[in-house]
Amino acid sequence: MRKMLALMTGGGTLFGGASLAHANGWNMPVGVTDLSAEIYTLHMTIFWICVVIGIVVFGVMFYSLFKFRRSKGAKSAHFHENTTVEVIWTAVPLLILVGMAVPATATLQKMYDASDAELDVMITGQQWRWRYEYLGEDVAFNSNMSTPRAQITGEEERGEHYLLEVDEPLVLPINRKVRFLLTADDVIHSWWVPDFAVKQDTIPGFINENWVRINEPGIYRGQCAELCGMDHGFMPIVVHAMEEDEFDQWLVERKEAAEAEAMGVDREWEMDELMERGEQVYGSICASCHQADGGGSPPAFPGLAGNQELIDDVDWHIDVVLNGVSGTAMPAFRSNLNPVELAAVVTYSRNAWGNDTGDAVQPAEIVELLE
Amino acid sequence: MWGVIKSVLAAFFGVQKERQRRHDFEHGKPGAFILVGLLMAVVFVVVIAALAIYVAG
Ligand code: HEC
Ligand SMILES: [Cu+2]
Repeated sequence: MRKMLALMTGGGTLFGGASLAHANGWNMPVGVTDLSAEIYTLHMTIFWICVVIGIVVFGVMFYSLFKFRRSKGAKSAHFHENTTVEVIWTAVPLLILVGMAVPATATLQKMYDASDAELDVMITGQQWRWRYEYLGEDVAFNSNMSTPRAQITGEEERGEHYLLEVDEPLVLPINRKVRFLLTADDVIHSWWVPDFAVKQDTIPGFINENWVRINEPGIYRGQCAELCGMDHGFMPIVVHAMEEDEFDQWLVERKEAAEAEAMGVDREWEMDELMERGEQVYGSICASCHQADGGGSPPAFPGLAGNQELIDDVDWHIDVVLNGVSGTAMPAFRSNLNPVELAAVVTYSRNAWGNDTGDAVQPAEIVELLE
Repeated sequence: MWGVIKSVLAAFFGVQKERQRRHDFEHGKPGAFILVGLLMAVVFVVVIAALAIYVAG
Protein backbone atom coordinates (compact mmCIF):
# COMPACT_ATOMS: atom_id res chain seq x y z
CA MET A 1 0.00 0.00 0.00
CA ARG A 2 2.88 2.36 0.95
CA LYS A 3 4.61 1.56 -2.27
CA MET A 4 1.44 2.06 -4.23
CA LEU A 5 0.81 5.45 -2.64
CA ALA A 6 4.37 6.52 -3.41
CA LEU A 7 3.94 5.37 -6.97
CA MET A 8 0.65 7.15 -7.30
CA THR A 9 1.85 10.48 -5.94
CA GLY A 10 5.16 10.11 -7.77
CA GLY A 11 3.30 9.76 -11.01
CA GLY A 12 1.59 12.97 -10.14
CA THR A 13 4.77 14.95 -9.50
CA LEU A 14 5.81 14.24 -13.06
CA PHE A 15 3.12 16.65 -14.16
CA GLY A 16 2.64 18.56 -10.93
CA GLY A 17 6.09 20.15 -10.89
CA ALA A 18 5.11 22.68 -13.51
CA SER A 19 4.32 26.05 -11.97
CA LEU A 20 1.71 28.54 -13.03
CA ALA A 21 4.41 30.34 -15.01
CA HIS A 22 4.55 27.54 -17.53
CA ALA A 23 0.91 26.68 -17.27
CA ASN A 24 1.11 23.55 -19.36
CA GLY A 25 1.12 21.34 -16.26
CA TRP A 26 -1.56 18.70 -16.08
CA ASN A 27 -2.01 18.60 -12.36
CA MET A 28 -2.08 20.80 -9.29
CA PRO A 29 1.39 21.44 -7.84
CA VAL A 30 2.65 19.67 -4.71
CA GLY A 31 3.52 23.10 -3.45
CA VAL A 32 5.90 24.31 -0.76
CA THR A 33 3.90 23.98 2.45
CA ASP A 34 3.04 20.88 4.50
CA LEU A 35 -0.61 21.61 3.92
CA SER A 36 -0.29 21.96 0.16
CA ALA A 37 1.50 18.59 0.05
CA GLU A 38 -1.29 17.10 2.15
CA ILE A 39 -3.95 18.52 -0.15
CA TYR A 40 -2.04 17.17 -3.13
CA THR A 41 -1.86 13.68 -1.61
CA LEU A 42 -5.55 13.83 -0.79
CA HIS A 43 -6.30 14.89 -4.35
CA MET A 44 -4.24 12.05 -5.80
CA THR A 45 -5.68 9.47 -3.39
CA ILE A 46 -9.23 10.36 -4.33
CA PHE A 47 -8.29 10.52 -7.98
CA TRP A 48 -6.94 6.96 -7.85
CA ILE A 49 -9.96 5.71 -5.90
CA CYS A 50 -12.10 7.08 -8.74
CA VAL A 51 -9.85 5.44 -11.33
CA VAL A 52 -10.12 2.05 -9.60
CA ILE A 53 -13.90 2.33 -9.30
CA GLY A 54 -14.11 3.30 -12.97
CA ILE A 55 -11.98 0.35 -14.05
CA VAL A 56 -13.94 -2.13 -11.93
CA VAL A 57 -17.38 -0.88 -12.97
CA PHE A 58 -16.64 -0.52 -16.66
CA GLY A 59 -14.55 -3.71 -16.62
CA VAL A 60 -17.47 -5.75 -15.29
CA MET A 61 -19.85 -4.05 -17.68
CA PHE A 62 -17.79 -4.58 -20.83
CA TYR A 63 -16.84 -8.11 -19.80
CA SER A 64 -20.52 -8.97 -19.34
CA LEU A 65 -21.52 -7.34 -22.60
CA PHE A 66 -18.92 -9.34 -24.42
CA LYS A 67 -19.13 -12.65 -22.63
CA PHE A 68 -22.92 -12.92 -22.44
CA ARG A 69 -23.81 -11.56 -25.85
CA ARG A 70 -26.91 -12.83 -27.55
CA SER A 71 -25.12 -14.22 -30.57
CA LYS A 72 -23.48 -16.70 -28.17
CA GLY A 73 -26.94 -17.79 -27.02
CA ALA A 74 -26.97 -15.99 -23.66
CA LYS A 75 -30.41 -15.73 -22.06
CA SER A 76 -31.27 -12.83 -19.77
CA ALA A 77 -32.28 -13.71 -16.22
CA HIS A 78 -35.71 -12.38 -15.23
CA PHE A 79 -35.85 -11.52 -11.56
CA HIS A 80 -37.29 -8.70 -9.57
CA GLU A 81 -35.86 -7.35 -6.31
CA ASN A 82 -32.80 -8.73 -4.58
CA THR A 83 -32.50 -7.05 -1.22
CA THR A 84 -29.01 -8.38 -0.51
CA VAL A 85 -27.60 -6.93 -3.72
CA GLU A 86 -29.39 -3.64 -3.15
CA VAL A 87 -27.99 -3.39 0.38
CA ILE A 88 -24.48 -4.06 -0.93
CA TRP A 89 -24.62 -1.49 -3.69
CA THR A 90 -25.90 1.09 -1.24
CA ALA A 91 -23.47 0.30 1.56
CA VAL A 92 -20.28 0.12 -0.51
CA PRO A 93 -20.49 3.68 -1.93
CA LEU A 94 -21.49 4.91 1.52
CA LEU A 95 -18.35 3.41 3.03
CA ILE A 96 -16.16 4.75 0.22
CA LEU A 97 -17.59 8.25 0.65
CA VAL A 98 -17.13 8.20 4.43
CA GLY A 99 -13.62 6.82 3.89
CA MET A 100 -12.81 9.85 1.72
CA ALA A 101 -14.61 12.34 3.96
CA VAL A 102 -12.59 11.48 7.07
CA PRO A 103 -9.11 12.52 5.79
CA ALA A 104 -10.64 15.38 3.77
CA THR A 105 -12.30 16.82 6.86
CA ALA A 106 -9.12 16.47 8.90
CA THR A 107 -7.23 18.50 6.27
CA LEU A 108 -10.00 21.06 6.04
CA GLN A 109 -9.81 21.60 9.79
CA LYS A 110 -6.10 22.33 9.54
CA MET A 111 -6.72 24.77 6.70
CA TYR A 112 -9.16 26.72 8.85
CA ASP A 113 -6.92 26.87 11.90
CA ALA A 114 -5.26 30.27 11.51
CA SER A 115 -4.50 30.59 15.24
CA ASP A 116 -1.03 31.18 16.73
CA ALA A 117 0.30 33.06 13.73
CA GLU A 118 3.63 34.84 14.11
CA LEU A 119 2.93 37.44 11.43
CA ASP A 120 -0.32 39.03 10.24
CA VAL A 121 -0.58 40.34 6.70
CA MET A 122 -3.63 42.20 5.50
CA ILE A 123 -4.30 41.62 1.81
CA THR A 124 -6.64 43.99 -0.01
CA GLY A 125 -7.84 43.45 -3.55
CA GLN A 126 -8.36 46.57 -5.65
CA GLN A 127 -9.14 47.12 -9.30
CA TRP A 128 -6.48 46.06 -10.31
CA ARG A 129 -3.70 45.51 -7.89
CA TRP A 130 -3.04 44.00 -4.47
CA ARG A 131 -2.24 45.95 -1.35
CA TYR A 132 -0.19 44.32 1.40
CA GLU A 133 -0.08 45.58 4.97
CA TYR A 134 2.16 44.06 7.65
CA LEU A 135 -0.10 44.59 10.64
CA GLY A 136 1.57 46.19 13.62
CA GLU A 137 4.74 46.86 11.63
CA ASP A 138 3.82 50.10 9.83
CA VAL A 139 4.81 48.58 6.53
CA ALA A 140 2.36 48.68 3.64
CA PHE A 141 2.63 48.86 -0.13
CA ASN A 142 0.80 48.27 -3.38
CA SER A 143 1.81 45.51 -5.73
CA ASN A 144 1.16 46.27 -9.40
CA MET A 145 1.71 44.16 -12.49
CA SER A 146 4.97 45.19 -14.14
CA THR A 147 4.53 43.57 -17.53
CA PRO A 148 4.89 46.39 -20.09
CA ARG A 149 1.79 47.27 -22.16
CA ALA A 150 3.81 46.77 -25.32
CA GLN A 151 4.10 43.05 -24.53
CA ILE A 152 0.35 42.80 -24.09
CA THR A 153 -0.43 44.58 -27.34
CA GLY A 154 2.09 42.40 -29.13
CA GLU A 155 4.54 45.15 -30.08
CA GLU A 156 7.21 43.51 -27.95
CA GLU A 157 8.34 39.95 -27.34
CA ARG A 158 6.69 38.39 -24.28
CA GLY A 159 8.99 38.04 -21.25
CA GLU A 160 9.54 34.89 -19.22
CA HIS A 161 7.01 35.87 -16.55
CA TYR A 162 4.50 37.51 -18.86
CA LEU A 163 1.50 38.75 -16.79
CA LEU A 164 2.96 37.08 -13.68
CA GLU A 165 5.40 39.78 -12.56
CA VAL A 166 4.94 42.74 -10.21
CA ASP A 167 6.81 45.89 -9.20
CA GLU A 168 6.85 44.93 -5.50
CA PRO A 169 6.33 41.33 -4.41
CA LEU A 170 4.85 40.28 -1.10
CA VAL A 171 7.81 39.28 1.08
CA LEU A 172 7.32 36.47 3.61
CA PRO A 173 9.59 34.48 5.91
CA ILE A 174 9.87 30.71 5.65
CA ASN A 175 9.21 28.41 8.63
CA ARG A 176 6.83 30.90 10.28
CA LYS A 177 3.10 30.73 10.41
CA VAL A 178 1.76 33.74 8.53
CA ARG A 179 -1.88 34.67 8.83
CA PHE A 180 -3.60 36.45 5.97
CA LEU A 181 -6.56 38.76 6.54
CA LEU A 182 -8.18 39.22 3.18
CA THR A 183 -10.62 41.87 2.02
CA ALA A 184 -11.35 44.08 -0.99
CA ASP A 185 -12.07 47.76 -1.64
CA ASP A 186 -14.34 47.57 -4.65
CA VAL A 187 -15.49 44.21 -6.01
CA ILE A 188 -14.83 40.57 -5.16
CA HIS A 189 -11.31 39.38 -5.99
CA SER A 190 -9.61 36.14 -5.07
CA TRP A 191 -6.05 35.75 -3.86
CA TRP A 192 -4.66 32.56 -5.36
CA VAL A 193 -1.16 31.10 -5.09
CA PRO A 194 -1.16 27.46 -6.25
CA ASP A 195 2.14 26.58 -4.57
CA PHE A 196 0.58 27.45 -1.17
CA ALA A 197 -2.73 25.75 -1.99
CA VAL A 198 -4.33 29.02 -0.94
CA LYS A 199 -7.22 30.46 -2.92
CA GLN A 200 -9.31 32.84 -0.87
CA ASP A 201 -12.03 35.23 -2.00
CA THR A 202 -11.53 38.84 -0.93
CA ILE A 203 -14.90 40.49 -0.40
CA PRO A 204 -15.66 44.17 0.27
CA GLY A 205 -16.92 44.59 3.84
CA PHE A 206 -15.76 41.15 4.96
CA ILE A 207 -12.45 39.87 6.29
CA ASN A 208 -11.53 36.30 5.41
CA GLU A 209 -8.71 34.38 7.04
CA ASN A 210 -6.14 32.02 5.67
CA TRP A 211 -2.58 31.08 6.50
CA VAL A 212 0.69 29.60 5.24
CA ARG A 213 3.89 28.21 6.61
CA ILE A 214 6.32 28.08 3.70
CA ASN A 215 9.04 25.43 3.74
CA GLU A 216 11.32 26.60 0.96
CA PRO A 217 12.63 30.02 0.00
CA GLY A 218 11.74 31.05 -3.50
CA ILE A 219 9.52 33.13 -5.77
CA TYR A 220 5.94 31.95 -6.01
CA ARG A 221 3.42 33.30 -8.45
CA GLY A 222 -0.33 33.47 -8.62
CA GLN A 223 -3.25 35.42 -10.02
CA CYS A 224 -6.57 36.94 -9.10
CA ALA A 225 -9.03 34.06 -9.45
CA GLU A 226 -12.29 35.98 -9.44
CA LEU A 227 -13.48 37.77 -12.57
CA CYS A 228 -13.24 41.34 -11.28
CA GLY A 229 -13.50 43.64 -14.29
CA MET A 230 -11.56 44.82 -17.29
CA ASP A 231 -8.03 44.17 -16.02
CA HIS A 232 -8.81 41.03 -14.04
CA GLY A 233 -6.02 39.22 -15.86
CA PHE A 234 -3.56 41.96 -14.97
CA MET A 235 -3.39 41.75 -11.18
CA PRO A 236 -0.89 38.95 -10.56
CA ILE A 237 0.55 37.92 -7.22
CA VAL A 238 4.24 37.38 -6.59
CA VAL A 239 5.50 36.15 -3.23
CA HIS A 240 9.17 36.27 -2.34
CA ALA A 241 9.79 33.76 0.46
CA MET A 242 13.02 34.46 2.35
CA GLU A 243 15.08 32.87 5.07
CA GLU A 244 13.93 34.15 8.45
CA ASP A 245 16.89 36.44 9.27
CA GLU A 246 16.85 37.81 5.75
CA PHE A 247 13.17 38.61 6.17
CA ASP A 248 13.70 40.31 9.54
CA GLN A 249 16.35 42.48 7.97
CA TRP A 250 14.05 43.35 5.06
CA LEU A 251 11.28 44.30 7.47
CA VAL A 252 13.57 46.57 9.47
CA GLU A 253 14.72 48.29 6.29
CA ARG A 254 11.14 48.81 5.15
CA LYS A 255 10.17 50.19 8.55
CA GLU A 256 13.05 52.64 8.48
CA ALA A 257 12.08 53.72 4.97
CA ALA A 258 8.48 54.22 6.10
CA GLU A 259 9.66 56.28 9.06
CA ALA A 260 11.90 58.40 6.87
CA GLU A 261 8.96 59.03 4.58
CA ALA A 262 6.73 59.97 7.52
CA MET A 263 9.39 62.46 8.61
CA GLY A 264 9.47 63.80 5.07
CA VAL A 265 6.00 65.19 5.60
CA ASP A 266 7.35 68.01 7.75
CA ARG A 267 10.01 69.32 5.45
CA GLU A 268 9.90 71.37 2.30
CA TRP A 269 10.38 69.20 -0.81
CA GLU A 270 12.34 70.27 -3.87
CA MET A 271 10.62 70.23 -7.23
CA ASP A 272 13.01 67.55 -8.58
CA GLU A 273 12.34 65.22 -5.68
CA LEU A 274 8.59 65.57 -6.04
CA MET A 275 8.76 65.03 -9.79
CA GLU A 276 10.90 61.91 -9.43
CA ARG A 277 8.68 60.40 -6.77
CA GLY A 278 5.55 61.47 -8.62
CA GLU A 279 6.60 59.82 -11.85
CA GLN A 280 7.10 56.57 -9.95
CA VAL A 281 3.67 56.75 -8.30
CA TYR A 282 1.98 57.84 -11.51
CA GLY A 283 3.54 54.97 -13.45
CA SER A 284 2.48 52.30 -11.00
CA ILE A 285 -1.00 53.58 -10.06
CA CYS A 286 -2.45 56.11 -12.49
CA ALA A 287 -0.98 55.12 -15.85
CA SER A 288 -3.24 52.08 -16.18
CA CYS A 289 -6.18 54.45 -16.72
CA HIS A 290 -4.67 57.83 -17.67
CA GLN A 291 -1.76 56.37 -19.70
CA ALA A 292 1.94 56.98 -19.15
CA ASP A 293 1.91 59.97 -21.56
CA GLY A 294 -1.01 61.56 -19.69
CA GLY A 295 -3.18 61.25 -22.75
CA GLY A 296 -5.84 59.08 -21.10
CA SER A 297 -8.31 57.17 -23.26
CA PRO A 298 -11.20 59.59 -23.70
CA PRO A 299 -14.07 59.55 -23.21
CA ALA A 300 -13.76 56.84 -20.52
CA PHE A 301 -10.53 58.12 -18.96
CA PRO A 302 -9.83 61.85 -19.40
CA GLY A 303 -6.36 62.93 -20.40
CA LEU A 304 -4.38 64.90 -17.83
CA ALA A 305 -1.87 66.32 -20.30
CA GLY A 306 -2.96 69.77 -21.44
CA ASN A 307 -6.14 69.46 -19.34
CA GLN A 308 -7.11 73.13 -18.89
CA GLU A 309 -9.43 72.55 -15.96
CA LEU A 310 -6.62 70.80 -14.11
CA ILE A 311 -4.03 73.42 -15.01
CA ASP A 312 -6.29 76.25 -13.82
CA ASP A 313 -7.49 74.81 -10.55
CA VAL A 314 -4.97 73.20 -8.21
CA ASP A 315 -7.48 72.81 -5.35
CA TRP A 316 -9.90 70.91 -7.52
CA HIS A 317 -7.05 68.76 -8.84
CA ILE A 318 -5.98 67.80 -5.32
CA ASP A 319 -9.59 67.16 -4.30
CA VAL A 320 -10.18 64.76 -7.20
CA VAL A 321 -7.06 62.74 -6.36
CA LEU A 322 -7.81 62.62 -2.63
CA ASN A 323 -11.51 61.89 -2.82
CA GLY A 324 -12.04 60.38 -6.25
CA VAL A 325 -15.11 61.10 -8.36
CA SER A 326 -18.03 59.10 -7.02
CA GLY A 327 -20.00 57.16 -9.57
CA THR A 328 -16.97 56.92 -11.89
CA ALA A 329 -13.91 54.69 -12.10
CA MET A 330 -11.74 57.40 -10.52
CA PRO A 331 -10.86 56.00 -7.06
CA ALA A 332 -10.20 58.01 -3.89
CA PHE A 333 -6.51 57.76 -3.05
CA ARG A 334 -6.54 59.43 0.40
CA SER A 335 -6.04 56.18 2.28
CA ASN A 336 -4.15 54.20 -0.36
CA LEU A 337 -1.27 56.62 -0.84
CA ASN A 338 0.65 58.49 1.85
CA PRO A 339 0.88 62.31 1.91
CA VAL A 340 4.27 62.33 0.21
CA GLU A 341 3.03 60.13 -2.59
CA LEU A 342 -0.13 62.21 -2.99
CA ALA A 343 1.77 65.49 -3.11
CA ALA A 344 4.30 64.03 -5.53
CA VAL A 345 1.77 62.59 -7.94
CA VAL A 346 -0.22 65.85 -8.05
CA THR A 347 2.96 67.86 -8.58
CA TYR A 348 4.02 65.46 -11.29
CA SER A 349 0.73 65.72 -13.21
CA ARG A 350 0.82 69.52 -12.94
CA ASN A 351 4.27 69.76 -14.51
CA ALA A 352 4.79 66.73 -16.76
CA TRP A 353 3.74 66.44 -20.41
CA GLY A 354 4.01 70.17 -20.99
CA ASN A 355 1.55 71.14 -18.26
CA ASP A 356 4.39 73.23 -16.80
CA THR A 357 2.40 75.05 -14.13
CA GLY A 358 5.47 75.28 -11.91
CA ASP A 359 3.34 74.31 -8.87
CA ALA A 360 5.10 72.20 -6.25
CA VAL A 361 2.45 70.77 -3.92
CA GLN A 362 4.02 70.08 -0.52
CA PRO A 363 3.23 66.94 1.54
CA ALA A 364 2.44 69.26 4.49
CA GLU A 365 -0.45 70.81 2.52
CA ILE A 366 -1.88 67.35 1.88
CA VAL A 367 -1.59 66.41 5.56
CA GLU A 368 -3.67 69.47 6.42
CA LEU A 369 -6.34 68.49 3.90
CA LEU A 370 -6.43 64.93 5.18
CA GLU A 371 -7.25 65.99 8.72
CA MET B 1 -44.41 0.73 16.35
CA TRP B 2 -41.13 -1.14 15.90
CA GLY B 3 -42.34 -2.06 12.42
CA VAL B 4 -42.85 1.60 11.56
CA ILE B 5 -39.35 2.50 12.81
CA LYS B 6 -37.83 -0.31 10.81
CA SER B 7 -39.63 0.85 7.67
CA VAL B 8 -38.51 4.46 8.19
CA LEU B 9 -34.91 3.25 8.70
CA ALA B 10 -35.20 1.28 5.47
CA ALA B 11 -36.43 4.43 3.73
CA PHE B 12 -33.46 6.42 5.11
CA PHE B 13 -31.12 3.77 3.75
CA GLY B 14 -33.04 3.59 0.49
CA VAL B 15 -33.68 -0.17 0.31
CA GLN B 16 -36.89 -1.96 1.35
CA LYS B 17 -38.24 -5.51 0.97
CA GLU B 18 -41.15 -5.67 -1.46
CA ARG B 19 -43.18 -7.79 0.98
CA GLN B 20 -42.77 -5.24 3.77
CA ARG B 21 -43.57 -2.33 1.46
CA ARG B 22 -46.83 -3.94 0.38
CA HIS B 23 -47.69 -4.67 4.02
CA ASP B 24 -47.04 -1.04 5.03
CA PHE B 25 -49.15 0.34 2.22
CA GLU B 26 -52.06 -1.98 2.93
CA HIS B 27 -52.16 -1.90 6.74
CA GLY B 28 -50.12 1.13 7.94
CA LYS B 29 -51.45 4.62 8.72
CA PRO B 30 -49.69 7.43 6.73
CA GLY B 31 -49.68 9.73 9.77
CA ALA B 32 -47.60 7.29 11.80
CA PHE B 33 -44.90 7.10 9.09
CA ILE B 34 -44.79 10.86 8.63
CA LEU B 35 -44.51 11.50 12.37
CA VAL B 36 -41.82 8.86 12.95
CA GLY B 37 -40.02 10.03 9.82
CA LEU B 38 -39.86 13.63 11.06
CA LEU B 39 -38.76 12.60 14.55
CA MET B 40 -36.02 10.36 13.25
CA ALA B 41 -34.82 13.06 10.88
CA VAL B 42 -34.38 15.32 13.91
CA VAL B 43 -32.59 12.53 15.81
CA PHE B 44 -30.30 11.97 12.79
CA VAL B 45 -29.33 15.65 12.61
CA VAL B 46 -28.70 15.82 16.37
CA VAL B 47 -26.52 12.69 16.27
CA ILE B 48 -24.44 14.02 13.34
CA ALA B 49 -24.06 17.42 15.02
CA ALA B 50 -23.05 15.80 18.32
CA LEU B 51 -20.53 13.61 16.52
CA ALA B 52 -19.05 16.62 14.70
CA ILE B 53 -18.80 18.64 17.91
CA TYR B 54 -17.24 15.69 19.75
CA VAL B 55 -14.64 15.05 17.02
CA ALA B 56 -13.80 18.75 16.56
CA GLY B 57 -13.49 18.87 20.38
C1 HEC C 1 -9.38 52.94 -12.44
C2 HEC C 1 -9.05 53.99 -13.32
C3 HEC C 1 -8.37 55.24 -12.78
C4 HEC C 1 -7.22 55.32 -12.04
C5 HEC C 1 -6.33 54.18 -11.56
C6 HEC C 1 -6.97 56.71 -11.84
N1 HEC C 1 -7.96 57.46 -12.41
FE1 HEC C 1 -8.09 59.48 -12.43
N2 HEC C 1 -9.84 59.36 -13.38
C7 HEC C 1 -10.47 58.22 -13.80
C8 HEC C 1 -11.75 58.57 -14.41
C9 HEC C 1 -12.75 57.59 -15.00
C10 HEC C 1 -11.86 59.96 -14.35
C11 HEC C 1 -13.00 60.81 -14.83
C12 HEC C 1 -13.97 61.05 -13.69
C13 HEC C 1 -15.14 61.89 -14.14
O1 HEC C 1 -15.87 61.40 -14.99
O2 HEC C 1 -15.28 63.00 -13.63
C14 HEC C 1 -10.66 60.42 -13.71
C15 HEC C 1 -10.38 61.78 -13.45
C16 HEC C 1 -9.20 62.23 -12.94
C17 HEC C 1 -8.88 63.62 -12.79
C18 HEC C 1 -9.77 64.77 -13.21
C19 HEC C 1 -9.57 64.99 -14.68
C20 HEC C 1 -10.80 65.51 -15.36
O3 HEC C 1 -10.65 66.19 -16.37
O4 HEC C 1 -11.92 65.19 -14.92
C21 HEC C 1 -7.63 63.69 -12.25
C22 HEC C 1 -6.84 64.94 -11.92
C23 HEC C 1 -7.18 62.33 -12.04
N3 HEC C 1 -8.17 61.48 -12.48
C24 HEC C 1 -5.96 62.01 -11.49
C25 HEC C 1 -5.59 60.71 -11.22
C26 HEC C 1 -4.38 60.36 -10.52
C27 HEC C 1 -3.35 61.34 -10.02
C28 HEC C 1 -4.37 59.02 -10.42
C29 HEC C 1 -3.30 58.15 -9.74
C30 HEC C 1 -3.01 58.44 -8.36
C31 HEC C 1 -5.55 58.51 -11.06
N4 HEC C 1 -6.28 59.58 -11.52
C32 HEC C 1 -5.86 57.19 -11.16
C33 HEC C 1 -9.98 56.94 -13.67
C34 HEC C 1 -8.83 56.60 -12.99
CU1 LIG D 1 -9.31 40.81 -9.08
